[in-house]
Amino acid sequence: MNEINLSFDFYHLWEVCGGQLILIVAGLLLMIIDMLLLDKDAETRGKYIGWLTVFIFVATLGHMVYRQWDIHDIVFMGVFSADKFSVFISIVMVFSGFLAALMSMGYLRNNALMKGEYYILLIYAVAGAIGLVQSVDLLMMFITLEVMSLAVYALAAFIKESPFSQEGALKYFLLGSFGSAFFLFGVALIYGLTGSVNITSIALAISGGLYQSLPLLVGFAMILVGFFFKMAMVPFHMWTPDVYEGAPSVVTGFMATAVKAAAFGVCIKVLYVSFGPILANSGQPDFASTVSLSALAPYWKPVVWWLALLSMFFGNLIAVSQTNIKRMLAYSSIAHAGYMSLGILAANGDGRMGVLFYLFAYTLMNIGAFGVVYIIDGKERTAQNLEDYRGLGYKYPALGFLMGLFLVAMAGLPPTAGFVAKFYVFYAAIKEGYFLLAALGILTSVIGAYYYLRVIYMMYMKEEIKEVVRGPVAAPTVIALVITALGVLYLGILPEKLANIANVAQQGLSVIF
Amino acid sequence: MNEPILTYVTFLPLLGLIFILPIPQKSESGKNVIRGIAFLISIFTFWASLRIYGAFDASIAGFQLVEDHVWIGSYGIHYKLGIDGLSLWLVLLTTFITPLTILSTWRAIDKRVKEFQVSLLVLETAMLGTFMALDLFLFYVFWELMLIPMYLIIGVWGGERRIYAAIKFFLYTAVGSLLMLVCIIGLVYFHHNHSGHLTFDLLQLYGTPIPRNYEILFFAAFALAFAIKVPMFPFHTWLPDAHVEAPTAGSVILAGILLKMGTYGFFRFAMPLFPQGSDYFAPLIILLSVIGIIYGALVAMVQPDIKKLVAYSSVSHLGYCMLGLYVLTRQGVEGSVLQMINHGISTGALFLLVGIIYERRHTRLIKEYGGIARIVPVYSTIFLIVTLSSIGFPTTNGFIGEFLILLGAFKVNKLAAVLAATGVILGAVYMLWMVQRVFYGQVRNPKNLHLKDMNLREVAYMVPLLILIFWIGLYPNFFLSKMHASVDHFISQVKVEQVEKTSHVALAQSIREAALSASKAKE
Repeated sequence: MNEINLSFDFYHLWEVCGGQLILIVAGLLLMIIDMLLLDKDAETRGKYIGWLTVFIFVATLGHMVYRQWDIHDIVFMGVFSADKFSVFISIVMVFSGFLAALMSMGYLRNNALMKGEYYILLIYAVAGAIGLVQSVDLLMMFITLEVMSLAVYALAAFIKESPFSQEGALKYFLLGSFGSAFFLFGVALIYGLTGSVNITSIALAISGGLYQSLPLLVGFAMILVGFFFKMAMVPFHMWTPDVYEGAPSVVTGFMATAVKAAAFGVCIKVLYVSFGPILANSGQPDFASTVSLSALAPYWKPVVWWLALLSMFFGNLIAVSQTNIKRMLAYSSIAHAGYMSLGILAANGDGRMGVLFYLFAYTLMNIGAFGVVYIIDGKERTAQNLEDYRGLGYKYPALGFLMGLFLVAMAGLPPTAGFVAKFYVFYAAIKEGYFLLAALGILTSVIGAYYYLRVIYMMYMKEEIKEVVRGPVAAPTVIALVITALGVLYLGILPEKLANIANVAQQGLSVIF
Repeated sequence: MNEPILTYVTFLPLLGLIFILPIPQKSESGKNVIRGIAFLISIFTFWASLRIYGAFDASIAGFQLVEDHVWIGSYGIHYKLGIDGLSLWLVLLTTFITPLTILSTWRAIDKRVKEFQVSLLVLETAMLGTFMALDLFLFYVFWELMLIPMYLIIGVWGGERRIYAAIKFFLYTAVGSLLMLVCIIGLVYFHHNHSGHLTFDLLQLYGTPIPRNYEILFFAAFALAFAIKVPMFPFHTWLPDAHVEAPTAGSVILAGILLKMGTYGFFRFAMPLFPQGSDYFAPLIILLSVIGIIYGALVAMVQPDIKKLVAYSSVSHLGYCMLGLYVLTRQGVEGSVLQMINHGISTGALFLLVGIIYERRHTRLIKEYGGIARIVPVYSTIFLIVTLSSIGFPTTNGFIGEFLILLGAFKVNKLAAVLAATGVILGAVYMLWMVQRVFYGQVRNPKNLHLKDMNLREVAYMVPLLILIFWIGLYPNFFLSKMHASVDHFISQVKVEQVEKTSHVALAQSIREAALSASKAKE
């Protein structure tokens, strides 16, 4: 169970973290290929590298779905685990990377930004994110967190000429380092108290009553702060609007989904595994019966209660006053983090399932929305204001319809994935008796509906005043938009299949023991 | 019944989109083809819904033609449709009014015809689904699905302040319905705790024992959602805006069908699901209904705009419906159901008529008209007939509905009945006064001298409404006979708790008496 297997076995390594390995090796190869292609012009190079990246993500996705999904009980050297829970979240992130890669081809061409590093950074960001959710070791969590973050910082700063991109990235970097430092300090405290960085060993070590000690609580809180920062929960959200506004649109879509998914995944893992099963049956930690009974719950539940409410409320409220669509979507992503955290708060199987479903649905609608945003933008920052969307629904009916669909999904109206996702997390919260929070939360989504619909009325009910010319639409972007739109509708009408898979995935969390 | 006829009817309009979407709308003929196809689809839907009528058995109280398929099994969510004596008529009303509105917009909507017809057909599917859904989740999905098309209809094709009206409509409705969602989940949660069975099936959720506080709370949330839709007195402020700004077709659908969602929600969901909560709030709701009746009528009286006048009259008329529901007698409830249909027909017809004259003069102000009866005789005659039906003139439909409601109310709550009856008088005052100012006297405004009378298309869509007005007015039993069983069942559902309550009281009293006699015996 907790025996640490120190023998190095390549086959095990491949079994447990095949997805990461594919990405890391492919990233290295891509660097070489990029150099070999240097004599070609940017357009051809972009095409080659872009499609190769897409292919790599598809291969990773295939490996995860068909191979890693079925092997779920191996913990490699006590560092990575391949449980269904981690694999599900990894799939969400790889999928997000796949969609982002598809859209990036058009985006980079429209903005004349084509550089091979972009795709390599994207691949390493996903590799780091996968490593983060697969870690069962706090130190490895820190390392992979940094791998992911550094790649994302660089991606956010990718538009060198744009002061907004630079400002956002710098802010992200400084505040992100601050968040990581918190996390690391928390790890140090926990290590000092328990003598271990392995999350299951910690769980056993603190079961003896250590969980009541103040230093442990402080360490615990600091680790959570590190996660809340990446999840963009109020009051750790300050970086979000600037970064989301300044970063390349496709990167913003990727950040808002993959990074969020990684943070939610690892947060759930730490909360339930490391600090969850305090009560033990005859010396064996009993996962199933202790999830919501854990002794630390009285400490973190009120905190998450308030953070969820504040995130939903402020995220939605501040989004109303935004005039830049990327900023508006940034605040909306804070609100969505609030909704998802209802699933964490519920601390039951339904809640975890809801979070997983929500992450997948949110990936579809958010990346889809940013895809439309970048096309309408033409060149970054030419048409990002809400006013620029006037009358676009008639000028570009397909784009208008897609944008409308994604926004309706984010507002949580049926028959879209957004509605079902919200239903699942609210259901889980109400099941645990959080009536008040559910009622307040759902009222904030009325505020949400207001600003989402404002874009729709700009598109359909106002006449165009400033001529907005959309950028050329690349074929890969069309593929990505079709996938996201069909996905949003499909999950809205027939959500059960994915919900069942997510349910199996959340049960996989218990395998870590 | 193996044939899923309810599903056919519900999704036929949506199916029509396949034919409409590929047609280009650049040319006038393209627009006409789109209108024609939309009209044919809606007629076809109406024909299909007549088959529901044919298959309906009036002697059964429960739901009929039920279709039940598992949708989201792990949450006990089913795709379950069914109709009873109430929803049968509301479904028919919906399929009946929709083709008329499409005819009425033939000329009025000239911009973005395709988008308009698409919105209208999606809206029809959502409305039909709402009336037939027997699963709370499914009901909620259809209920919310109505929002976006209606929002677009008001916001894109409406009048000057259309965006304000559209957003107001949306936000008002969304607040109510989202709280309802929380309470739906709460109800399911209590049912799950009680029976260990997770389901959103309405029929199984009926009679779920809920702690009294929660029952009151849940009823309040449901009632809020539906009261906004009805709209009841303090929540009605979105209605005049939405009506005035919406295009004619939007107003007709809004008044004719969407408002019925509110009363239907009370009848189907709020009251039978939470009889105790309903009982707790009954005095308040009766009070608000009576206030709505009188207030709506008084405000209508002073409106300078014909459309706004009709809009406020809706507040008054829907007050009758709510009053009828809450007196919980057979006459009252049947009158209320009939009044829902009547209001759909009469007010729908009034909005259509206002739309006709607005198309010609582009104004709806009463003072712009006067004495036009001799210039447009056909129009004036029809307008007068519809007005009489709206104020409840005997031999028209309005009379039967209001009479039954007042009869039912008088048995239970005399004061409310008397106060509500003044609404009938006030109704006659504001409608007839408006008719007098618009149609009679001298022609004061020279612009009206060359007003064109109704053309064939306009007469064609008014005639069916006129026929119904007299049909219900002269032979209401045709309609009432189908709903007896369902209404009795409804009353027994909602009243069951009260009987229990009284029996509790009786029990407590007998215990106390026994104790008293025992203590006396001791002495």
